[in-house]
Amino acid sequence: MSTMINEVTLLGHKDHGKSTLIGRMLMDTHSVSKARIDNAKMMSKRLGRKFEPGFLLDSFEEEQEGALTIDTTRAQIKYRGSAFEFIDVPGHEELIKNMISGASNASFALLMVSAKGDEGVEDQTKRHLFLAKMMGIESIIVCVNKMDTVDYSERRFEEIVGGLRPFLSNVGFARNSVIFVPVSAYDSDNISRRSERMGWYRGKPLLDLLVDLSKRRRSSGDKTLRIIFQGVMGAGDDLKYIGRVVSGSLNEGEQIVLMPTGKRVMIERIFVKGRAKQTARSGENVALVLDRHIAGDGRGIVGYGSRHRGVRSKSIDALIFAIGRIGVRAKIRSNGVEHQCSIKLVNGIDTTTGGAAAWSGVRELEAGRVVINLNDYICVEPFAKSRELGRFTIHSGKELVGIGIVNG
Amino acid sequence: MIKQDINKLEEKSIFIIREAKTRFNNIAALWSMGKDSTAMLAIARNAFLGKIPFPVIHIDNGIDFPESYKFRDDLADRWGMEVIVAKSKIKPEISGYSCCGANKTVALKGVLKEYGFEALIVSIRRDEHAVRAKERYVSPRDKNFSWNYKDQPAEVWDSYSSKLDKRGHLRIHPLLDWNEIDIWSYIKRNRIPINPLYMSNNGYRYRSLGCTHCTVPIRSNAKSIDAIIRELETTKVEERSGREQDKEKAYIMEKLRSLGYM
Ligand SMILES: Nc1nc2c(ncn2[C@@H]2O[C@H](COP(=O)(O)OP(=O)(O)O)[C@@H](O)[C@H]2O)c(=O)[nH]1
Repeated sequence: MSTMINEVTLLGHKDHGKSTLIGRMLMDTHSVSKARIDNAKMMSKRLGRKFEPGFLLDSFEEEQEGALTIDTTRAQIKYRGSAFEFIDVPGHEELIKNMISGASNASFALLMVSAKGDEGVEDQTKRHLFLAKMMGIESIIVCVNKMDTVDYSERRFEEIVGGLRPFLSNVGFARNSVIFVPVSAYDSDNISRRSERMGWYRGKPLLDLLVDLSKRRRSSGDKTLRIIFQGVMGAGDDLKYIGRVVSGSLNEGEQIVLMPTGKRVMIERIFVKGRAKQTARSGENVALVLDRHIAGDGRGIVGYGSRHRGVRSKSIDALIFAIGRIGVRAKIRSNGVEHQCSIKLVNGIDTTTGGAAAWSGVRELEAGRVVINLNDYICVEPFAKSRELGRFTIHSGKELVGIGIVNG
Repeated sequence: MIKQDINKLEEKSIFIIREAKTRFNNIAALWSMGKDSTAMLAIARNAFLGKIPFPVIHIDNGIDFPESYKFRDDLADRWGMEVIVAKSKIKPEISGYSCCGANKTVALKGVLKEYGFEALIVSIRRDEHAVRAKERYVSPRDKNFSWNYKDQPAEVWDSYSSKLDKRGHLRIHPLLDWNEIDIWSYIKRNRIPINPLYMSNNGYRYRSLGCTHCTVPIRSNAKSIDAIIRELETTKVEERSGREQDKEKAYIMEKLRSLGYM
């Protein structure tokens, strides 16, 4: 039986216990060999520390000795029929692009907040939460960790929950899409089993919450046919257009509308995974024989069903986040094609509060609501309507300097 | 080991391979005749309806298993592949990564220079090693082949880098998301010919294939692909455990060095 792996992006400040949590989950779900556990125990001892479950993560002794910090770590865990891949990226400011790379395909986020006296939520963590939401992560589990250090106090837990709620709501997380769970990753409290030390907590342990989220039906979007053209293969009589159906389905013999030109073509043949097919479904890469040639290689064209009006625009209302410096003149890459454009800031957004800010230009490592003007038409739709057509990247020269989503 | 949906995995791989071919004129794929790069070539055939539109490179150090050479020639023939064989020289005094790495790198540099390839498809998987968790689907290498992992371009959604350094090249990793067990499920379902060394012989089989000098077999009675899949479903032993220990250590050290750690 194969399983869909849910990518989970781990957020939270260093030392709040992310590695410990992953190590603990690996142990509680029997996902690591005894040899590896023994090795982690030996390493802990050699370094004169208590057993660190976090040492199960990387097999490099050098890393554990603290001489090296390898950045991204990943671990796959299977539990009660669901599978997860935890992606942990460190929180340094200069590495925000790694966080974005790691989180861009995640299904949900897990935030680690230590309940220990002086370890609250930092700005960088808030920025990560903002980005997670912006990139389309709808649900989040907040683990209030190290409950053992605060005597498993319900009051302390509520204090942290109360402190975080306003920010999460400012950033756009719906109240019922945020779940809080008090844990002690180190002692495995509320990880796979409900902890007796926190009888006041009525919810499920973390792993069960993750399973519930993985089973939640994700809105699969509408059934509108959208196909993004990638280019061509072959030549002459053998020419085929390649692309990906991102929503709806495509049938042989069907007429489709190509945007931005509005031209109509008929689908003569469809190939999926090397085989001729009558229908191609959402998520499939196709090679198509059309009844006529289209100008150029077709890259960036979006095909819609014949009854669809098609969408195109030269001016986009968007939310962007600046990874690097974004000037007024830039390029955006949408559907695989780069377009020259100008970017005008409507208002800045302070990612550490989620609130609007009166800045004169787009600030590095901050967000903004912008209007993007282009010389030519492009096909975009609101991100809420189509993930694929609603997102773009911003480039300056060969550097990726920002990401954006189209407002509805 | 978690078994994933190979249809989904294949779609993503097809997208990445097509993206590489569409964005760059001159690309090639590395083929070790192992299970991963052979599966990748099968996917590329599906992506391009039977005909792989780029050459495949075999870095040949002259000490691969005889079974591997035969496998190479048979399959190249059957699939109509253009194979570039780049001979690397083995120096007996050099072993471990210096053998697997340095000599092969010299040979590969020669090929890249001769043919001017801009991008190379390499069939690495993330689950092979912790270091690979940091890899991107498309990853720039400079002219010395080094991987500046600390300053990699962001890779957001399916927007991949096109950052080609002068005289550098891009590594394309279409199999990054696959687990070892998925490769075997795919090989089984698509009836992909496979190097016989992977099957058990007298209680041993190769799980990971290097050259004759640094690969040792693991204990296994798996004589069929089904048996291999069953074995992997329960194992907790790392894939590369069949590489000689001291050499594996040297490999990791070298890898870390190239990562800029030492
Ligand atoms: N008391 C206590 N300490 C913890 C807990 N979880 C993690 N720690 C400790 O906090 C320190 C940092 O944890 P680590 O997992 O490395 O944090 P990371 O930087 O977020 O990955 C380690 O020394 C852990 O042992 C917990 O639940 N209780």
